[in-house]
Amino acid sequence: MTLVIAESLTPDQRLLQDVSAQFIAETMTLSKVREQTNVRTALAAEYRRRAADLGWFSLLVPDEHGGGRLSDNSVLDACLVAYQRGRLLQPGAFVATNVVARAVAAGGSEQQRHATLPGLLSGEVAAAWVAAPSPGAVEACRNDDTYRLSGSVRFVEDPGPDGIVLLTANTPDGPTQFLLSTDMPGLRIETADSLDISRRFVEIHCTDTKVPMAAVLGRPGAGAAPAAEQLALACVLLCAESVGAMDYELATTVQYAKDRVAFGRPIGSFQAIKHLLADTSLGLETAKACVVAAAAHLDAADDYAQQAASIAKAVVGANGQDLAQNCFQVFGGIGFTWEHDQHLYLRRLSSDAALYGDPVWHREYLCQLGGI
Amino acid sequence: MDDTMVDLDTFRRQARAWIAANLDRREGANGQINAQLEDRSAADIARARVLQRRLFDGGYAGISFPRECGGRGLSATHEQVFREEAAGYELPDFGGAGNVTFGPIARSIVAHADEAFVHRHLPRILSGEEIWCQLYSEPDAGSDLPGVRTSATRDGDKWRITGAKVWSTGAYYADWGMCLARTDWAAVKRRGLTWFAVPMNAEGLSVRRILQIDGSAGFCEEFLDDVVIPNDAIIGGLNDGWAVAQTMLVYERGAGEEFTGAVEPRDLAPDLVALARQVGRVQEPIVRQLIARSQAQDFARYHLGKRIAQQLMTSTSPQPAVAAYGKLALGVFAADRGRAAMEIAGADALVWPTTSEMPMSAKGFLNARMTCIAAGTNEMQRNAIGERVLGLPREPSFDLTKPFGDVVRDARTWDGRVC
Repeated sequence: MTLVIAESLTPDQRLLQDVSAQFIAETMTLSKVREQTNVRTALAAEYRRRAADLGWFSLLVPDEHGGGRLSDNSVLDACLVAYQRGRLLQPGAFVATNVVARAVAAGGSEQQRHATLPGLLSGEVAAAWVAAPSPGAVEACRNDDTYRLSGSVRFVEDPGPDGIVLLTANTPDGPTQFLLSTDMPGLRIETADSLDISRRFVEIHCTDTKVPMAAVLGRPGAGAAPAAEQLALACVLLCAESVGAMDYELATTVQYAKDRVAFGRPIGSFQAIKHLLADTSLGLETAKACVVAAAAHLDAADDYAQQAASIAKAVVGANGQDLAQNCFQVFGGIGFTWEHDQHLYLRRLSSDAALYGDPVWHREYLCQLGGI
Repeated sequence: MDDTMVDLDTFRRQARAWIAANLDRREGANGQINAQLEDRSAADIARARVLQRRLFDGGYAGISFPRECGGRGLSATHEQVFREEAAGYELPDFGGAGNVTFGPIARSIVAHADEAFVHRHLPRILSGEEIWCQLYSEPDAGSDLPGVRTSATRDGDKWRITGAKVWSTGAYYADWGMCLARTDWAAVKRRGLTWFAVPMNAEGLSVRRILQIDGSAGFCEEFLDDVVIPNDAIIGGLNDGWAVAQTMLVYERGAGEEFTGAVEPRDLAPDLVALARQVGRVQEPIVRQLIARSQAQDFARYHLGKRIAQQLMTSTSPQPAVAAYGKLALGVFAADRGRAAMEIAGADALVWPTTSEMPMSAKGFLNARMTCIAAGTNEMQRNAIGERVLGLPREPSFDLTKPFGDVVRDARTWDGRVC
């Protein structure tokens, strides 16, 4: 089954989904993901440009800013792509690039739009997005026309060389968002090793980094509301990727349960295995329902959008981790080997569960949004 | 104007006006009847009949039932729109028997009964004159429903039914029962079954209310002792009862959204927040996690239900087993939610003054057991998902190929060996 019931998709949406799936299957198979051929290489740049040609980074940006929205349900459209990406654990900062492109289109100055959007939409550059609940914090102090940034954040998906960083820093006036480039002086980007080997993460260090006023996105001190909106979008897109990974992993596991024979019959005929897989499948269908519902709330831009996104993040995060463990249990020994793809999914889903806030964080946030 | 063409906006406007003019406002009504656990008095049922008749006369009973059956012939979405508009108003409350009458029973009658039967009963059902119950489970057949042992024997142009039924919601105030009986013991388990419409006041039929886990009594057991039923009381074909049961189970498991509720649950688990405030624990991180988890589950289950309904409606090859997801979600989450309330309430859910009623946290905890086993246990739903959605092979079984009479006999003498 897919993210959205096939019958409810428009022809445009179906086309987007199908060409994305085909592009991924031809370009970035699991074995290439595994070899990390997409990390800071020419291939990575080529992959991004070709993905941009399919519209991957334009879906959430209005036409007047150079974007290419497919429908009024642009978050759902982006989720359809994210789902296909997740199925084969696609690398690259798809989520952050879309979040930042939309943020710049919505809240950027004329100059920021011109400087940033063409590169993002054409796939020339990618973006990193940093705000609570990312681990770490950056403080900013204003001195006339300049801000000075200090602090570090980590567990940020690598935007690659010449990337753009949308970073939310604390100032005495309140959270302020800055649009930075990875090669600016005083900004140190260090790549990290990670549990998830399908993607690359970086640490971003600011040491008394001088940033001009022109880099402020939106109004100084007024970054909390846009950051919360961006968080909701980041969560929903990431959840759609997770659900793609979950769907693929469970289908692989169900097939294994049909093929693997023990005690004279396929192990999937034993209720112990069958019931585990049924529960896992319920967790997956529930996760899909939450993602689609949250995308609809975001597309409607209604007053429950943030709650719905946090619910999706909490549910998908927890169910994704359960799914990875349950599938491992069915695979048994073969799943403990490096050669088998199972661990790639285990790693990715564990990482997804924590990125942009883990289930515990989002449940607490949900309580606060709910007024307690 | 052809009424079947009413678009949703027009329908919503009309429904809103009609509701305001014909129904009474009611605090806390949410369009959902979760009444299987509560007692209903004769006066409650009489009031419900009056309201149901009002809906029927106004064209708002059986909105999604065919017009030739006395319904309005509109879509399930129209029905949903009406429920949304009616939230906050008093609706007919027939308790659990109402849910089964307008859900699984009416739907299976429309799908399987002959025309004369449908015309005889459906308008009376939709107008509130006939409330039905399910004579379905038996002491020896629950999850294994096709293993029923109640016998119906032909006697000229009549049938004589003898056996015992159990877990019939609201049978003590129902007018009719839809009874599953074995009509051919020489056939394999699922081939010898037939459904009968049984008047609940028939001679030889006795109804006893069952005292439940929480002390209430909404369910009943029935004893049928040579109850005589005419031949035209058969619903669906003779010995073709399993096909009818399949339809019934789909609706029983929530395809009709009985388990989902009409409105997206947006308020942060209000019952648990109130409980946490009451015990002064609303700032405790663990309590907040429980509250948010429950809210996420409520939201998730609502949207899962919508997803299932959409799948059943739009799919080119409907797979009724997907309804099992909704039922399993309810069975798993309800127990979880009951436990969350217990953990928040602490001692308050375990001990209370002798002068007080049992608190909701304790009552809810006990009753949360029901959905784990009703309408097929969680394990039955897992089998349905595993075998019919995921396509996993069945366990070897003893009851699929031989006459059901032999199945019952051989089970008694089985020595535990599998050959």
